[in-house]
Amino acid sequence: MAIIETFGLSRHFGDVTAVDDLTMAVESGEVVGLLGPNGAGKTTTIRMLAGIIGPTKGEAIVAGYRTDRNVEKLHEVVGMLTETPGLYSRLSARRNLEYFASFYPINNVTGRVEKYLKLMGLWERREDKVGTFSKGMKQRLALARALIHEPKVLFLDEPTSGLDPEAAGEVRQLIRGLGEAGCTIFLSTHNLTEAELLCHRIAVIHTRLLALDTTENLRRRFFQRAVMVELESADPNVVATVRKLPFVQEVKEEGSHLNIYIIDSERNRPELVRAIVEAGGKVITISEEQYTLEQVYLRLMEEEKASDSQAHS
Amino acid sequence: MTVRRIRNILRKEWELLFTDPNSALFVTLLPLLIVGQGIVYIWLAFRFGGESMLGSPVFQTALAKLLQAIPEVAGLPPSEQLLVLLLSQFQFFLLLIPIMIAVGIATFSIVDEKLTGSLEALLATPVRTWELLLGKTLAGAVPALLMTWISAGCFLLVVGLLRWGDVSRLVLTPSWFLILFLLTPAVAILSFMLGVVGSSRAKDAKSAQNMVVIIVFPILALIGIQVTGIIWFTPSLTLVLALVILAVDYIALRAAVRLFQRESITIQWR
Repeated sequence: MAIIETFGLSRHFGDVTAVDDLTMAVESGEVVGLLGPNGAGKTTTIRMLAGIIGPTKGEAIVAGYRTDRNVEKLHEVVGMLTETPGLYSRLSARRNLEYFASFYPINNVTGRVEKYLKLMGLWERREDKVGTFSKGMKQRLALARALIHEPKVLFLDEPTSGLDPEAAGEVRQLIRGLGEAGCTIFLSTHNLTEAELLCHRIAVIHTRLLALDTTENLRRRFFQRAVMVELESADPNVVATVRKLPFVQEVKEEGSHLNIYIIDSERNRPELVRAIVEAGGKVITISEEQYTLEQVYLRLMEEEKASDSQAHS
Repeated sequence: MTVRRIRNILRKEWELLFTDPNSALFVTLLPLLIVGQGIVYIWLAFRFGGESMLGSPVFQTALAKLLQAIPEVAGLPPSEQLLVLLLSQFQFFLLLIPIMIAVGIATFSIVDEKLTGSLEALLATPVRTWELLLGKTLAGAVPALLMTWISAGCFLLVVGLLRWGDVSRLVLTPSWFLILFLLTPAVAILSFMLGVVGSSRAKDAKSAQNMVVIIVFPILALIGIQVTGIIWFTPSLTLVLALVILAVDYIALRAAVRLFQRESITIQWR
């Protein structure tokens, strides 16, 4: 069941279009990453979905609430981690959380604050002023603040931006835990490895939605899958046999190394290996060429640039 | 829920106010400086100005209104008449305290939250705009009001120590108490409300302060009216003025909610 749905969601700032005609659906319990270059509309999208700003056109429904109506009710069921932690540095971690918790209908604020301080590993430092915290600790506390009312949907705007690798790793670990616990998370990030690591699906936007799919499907969409086979020695008979296989699209030969492009790597690989062995090939290693999300993302951006320049010419 | 939210905003604002030594000193010392300055001014006028001051047309008009309001003053020697006049005018001087504190504190209330990034997080909670604005207004107005009352107490104490006690009984009229306990709270709330509105509309802390300084002028005009004797604030007139300002407070809150545009505040302030 979709917990986030948008229908032609658009936002203009004067003459500038920040988000254009965004239509998508996110299922309950999904972790979706929002990727795009600076100024692509990631923060505007998150702000619209979290009911901070309204759309110019179109609509969004999050957890059953229209984001441009009944905002107060919407805010009770969504949590948001903003780009900057936005904490009160002269207050303690406990007081920061108590303050924000008081705006929600929570019966036992003290107990809830304790739960999330412990979850974020900040219980021992609960009475320390936030001004004395490291960036990573502040980000963990901000995450606790976004979770304090146990929202149905969590919006994270660049949650690891500006953190050192260790702190970023800690925050990522926490987000992964939340995702595994079934929390619906919609996160914007510039970090493609992070998106690949944490998200079930990836949305790429550049004002408009360019793609929304699993990493695997995005890879398939842009790159052929190549199986790399190292034989004991070059064998023309093996190459000829492989070329005849119906699922093989292309074979590149470099001495005893073969790069074989096939339609479905998982399904066709066993048959491929059997055919090579039956043709007398002696396989030393077999591996699959891996395309990163970064390569997929860059390909998408190239396509977008090309279609933009076509539209302008 | 609303009460809990406002109470919590108050508590947070006070924690922040009193953990900042500059703000805490500003709130506690400024009123005492205003009172101290006022007492020195009255003492100098009483000691050295005397009858020559009473001779000026400005004081003549004011004195005529004073004699009309408190006939007993006519029986006092001229120097004491001047003292009663000056002490009576001091009640409006006290109104400057909440206004000055509002200019110093309220103007930063929203700007600071935006600059530290906490405002967006706050606006992502179910807090209503009026709860936020009222909470922030009261958070400044209550300490400012308490300091005004403490300052008024100090003023009376010094008046007693200077052996002006006999004349001060003529000053402590129903108007004096109405100004202190009805008009001052109304003015304090209005000052802080306007300060918070200015803070929410301005692009940065400096321009917020520049906008809010304007609220001092009506009170200076009020002092001017009293000093020159154009209008003498009788108890009924003071009551009417206080009620009008309380009504303005309510209108100002409603206007503030309309002027507080969450969206443009989130988008434009960077």
